[in-house]
Amino acid sequence: MNPYATSIMTFSLILGTTITISSNHWVLAWTGLEINTLAIIPLIAKSHHPRAVEAATKYFLTQAAASALVLFSSMTNAWVTGQWDITQMNHPTSCLLLTAAIAIKLGLVPFHFWFPEVLQGSPLMTALLLSTLMKFPPLTLLLLTSKSLDPALLTAMALASTALGGWMGLNQTQTRKILAFSSISHLGWIAIILVYSPKLALLTFYLYTIMTSAVFLALNKIKALNLSMIMTSWTKTPVLNATLMLVLLSLAGLPPLTGFMPKWLIIQELTKQEMTPAAMAIAMLSLLSLFFYLRLAYHSTITLPPNSSNHMKQWYTSKTPSTPTAVLASLSILLLPLSPMMHAIV
Amino acid sequence: MTYLMFFLGVCFAVGVLGVASNPSPYYGVVGLVLASVAGCGWLLGLGVSFVALVLFMVYLGGMLVVFVYSVALAAEPFPGGLGDWRVIGCAVAFVAIVFGGLVFGGFMGAWKFGVSTVNNVGVFVVRSDFSGVSMFYSHGAGMFLVAGWGLLLTLFVVLELVRGLSRGAIRAV
Repeated sequence: MNPYATSIMTFSLILGTTITISSNHWVLAWTGLEINTLAIIPLIAKSHHPRAVEAATKYFLTQAAASALVLFSSMTNAWVTGQWDITQMNHPTSCLLLTAAIAIKLGLVPFHFWFPEVLQGSPLMTALLLSTLMKFPPLTLLLLTSKSLDPALLTAMALASTALGGWMGLNQTQTRKILAFSSISHLGWIAIILVYSPKLALLTFYLYTIMTSAVFLALNKIKALNLSMIMTSWTKTPVLNATLMLVLLSLAGLPPLTGFMPKWLIIQELTKQEMTPAAMAIAMLSLLSLFFYLRLAYHSTITLPPNSSNHMKQWYTSKTPSTPTAVLASLSILLLPLSPMMHAIV
Repeated sequence: MTYLMFFLGVCFAVGVLGVASNPSPYYGVVGLVLASVAGCGWLLGLGVSFVALVLFMVYLGGMLVVFVYSVALAAEPFPGGLGDWRVIGCAVAFVAIVFGGLVFGGFMGAWKFGVSTVNNVGVFVVRSDFSGVSMFYSHGAGMFLVAGWGLLLTLFVVLELVRGLSRGAIRAV
């Protein structure tokens, strides 16, 4: 893409995100969401392939409808209460409409159908932006209004998201779709704890961002769009494949890796709030996604096809090392002993 | 007068339905014109005459004219009009959905939000919408810049999407 166009889109993404997360007026929050939606459309459709254009169209339609619903909810709240403050959203209809709108924006079940297809149609780096940066403003709005939201609706959507994210990811071989379903499951974990402890939801989101950024950057380095490409990349980047395995297991939530921290703290908080059946259900449903994380990790470190196990690493590889991948991967693997500090500073 | 506002609201909804049920942009624009005229009349009824004027001038006189000319240049040879069964089927389905929503809203108590105000006290601090526009330039300068950047960004996004003529993202398939 033309460098001027790329810089305009990147600047607008940063601007839109900053506007939404730093606003306390609903109109400004909506403006930031719209700027984000507009700016990422050319990034999704960059290759002008029909699948990419279809992904861009689907993204635009769902996000525009959700932004309109955000605007409607804030308008009805302003009509009834006379003010536009985001933290003072008290009217039940507005809260319900806002929850639905943000669920569409994030990709929570039952509004998740657009997410895998949009991620599959976009390049890997744009898919990373869609999974991490574009989730940040809607989550901020949910966090700011969390005390007025309906816990039952959020819990139902969260359990359904974890279930469907796990089940629908089982039969996938394309890495971007697998990561889409992983995102849906993690959003389920964030949504279930949102009403009881917004700080924990924010911590879960931060850790999910770190882990999934590490995965996307590693997959981008080896250009792995499906499982077969992961299987044959170990001769070129053996250390990256080993690290990718650990980061994937961290995403799955296995101790002693970082990904265990949010799940552990969420289950503890849910139990304290006497929601033990919900805690049990969401923990069991995460086992489904553990299967495809394990499959990805296995394919990442397998040494059999088509090279034999005594075939050495290629003597020359054109893959240069990358600092962000290294830093994010280290954070994704080693942060569990710092749990008390992480819980306190978020 | 409440009935007139209600009638304008129905015209607005019918216009929007007309836009949604037309696969061809040529005939969908008629629905847009009806919807914006009805919306303009509604705003006049609420008392914000300047905003109604701006809507008419900018939307119909600017956006719609530019849209019509660019669509004419795109040159679709055989557009599908209201004589096709597909268009009528879409229109009937959309009307059914809207009426279902209205009835359901009646059960949920959504008809409490009336549009029977003459002076909009309680929502706006100042009564005249002129002052609102001037405040956009003084206290609201930050929002003005953001809104201006948003519109400029829309232009760049559209230009980026249609770059390359028939090799670009938007092509007739």
